[in-house]
Amino acid sequence: MPENERIPAPLIVEALKEAFRSQRTAPPRDGEPLGWLLSVPDTHQKSVIAELEGDGELRLLTCSTEDEANAIAAGLYIGGAEVALMIQHAGLYASVNTLRGVGLDGGVPIFALVGLLSREPELDPADSPRSMVRFAGPLMDTFDVPHALLETRTDLGLIPEYYALSRERSGPAVVFVGRETD
Amino acid sequence: MRPEDVLRAINEARGDALVVPTMTAVPAWRTIAPDAPSVACVGFMGGASSLGLGLALAQPERRVIVLDGDGSLLMQLGSLATVAGAAPSNYTHVLFANGVYQTSGSQAIPGASAIDFAGMAEAAGYAFTTHIDTLEELRIRLPELLSVRGPVLVELAVEEAELTPMTAPGGDPLRVQVQRLRKRLGHEG
Repeated sequence: MPENERIPAPLIVEALKEAFRSQRTAPPRDGEPLGWLLSVPDTHQKSVIAELEGDGELRLLTCSTEDEANAIAAGLYIGGAEVALMIQHAGLYASVNTLRGVGLDGGVPIFALVGLLSREPELDPADSPRSMVRFAGPLMDTFDVPHALLETRTDLGLIPEYYALSRERSGPAVVFVGRETD
Repeated sequence: MRPEDVLRAINEARGDALVVPTMTAVPAWRTIAPDAPSVACVGFMGGASSLGLGLALAQPERRVIVLDGDGSLLMQLGSLATVAGAAPSNYTHVLFANGVYQTSGSQAIPGASAIDFAGMAEAAGYAFTTHIDTLEELRIRLPELLSVRGPVLVELAVEEAELTPMTAPGGDPLRVQVQRLRKRLGHEG
């Protein structure tokens, strides 16, 4: 696949499963999902969300707000479940206080895939004229949250890597989804 | 009803339930039920209902009791729809309705005298909702409220609490509470 082609959704789902499996200490019990995906729908990840709806191992829960998604993730984590968020950059800005409270003060390893809608492929996000794109990375830097940019198939390893990083750091880690998935 | 009396009644009836108190319930719960498996939500603006939902989904064999406030719930009112959509059968949402944001100085919540939170929860799709105005009725109905198929929302008409997180700060930091409850549930680290 040429590097500039969009990432097929099944590959991202597999990367999420790999991330969850790598952190589990035991296989799921009967009826227990391998992990949870908490989504406030994101245009860049809509094909992944559609793929998850038919997945037998993962459980998708659509939330009303990103604040909720962060707090639900905390409850799932405390209860021993694996969990990731799938949100958009506007939702990241909207929920930053909960990310602070739960992820930083609470030490909860919030891992989030965050769509960078309207990101210009020819520009570094830091040079985008769109504030929503330009400030997303610096916002995470302000909170000392590690982040990376997922755009091509060769970046898929970032998902298990940053998922594991969130666990190691007991705090948030973010992978920005720089282009729409296929 | 005095909220402290409500919390004592819940503590007596809770069994092995996991408990998520927020705001004015936090200081009193800390004293009344110091050994209960709890994690308190203060500072993330209405997150208790959602944190409790995550716990209920991860621990489907344990009851989860959320000790919420009316002002807190208004900050994340959409969580009623999210909880209803997830439909955790082990979820009991106890709403302390005192009509004010007590922690910040007892300012009235928007629409305080008119809001029917139990009605909202029912309309959102909660499996069981009710209003309770007296401690006597609460004591009688608690076993049902903690065992009936959820999600349950019980709206309690309460007075203001004796203490708030501002007048009685303290307790363990959230990070400590998170790890302690994880460990208690068998999840190290």
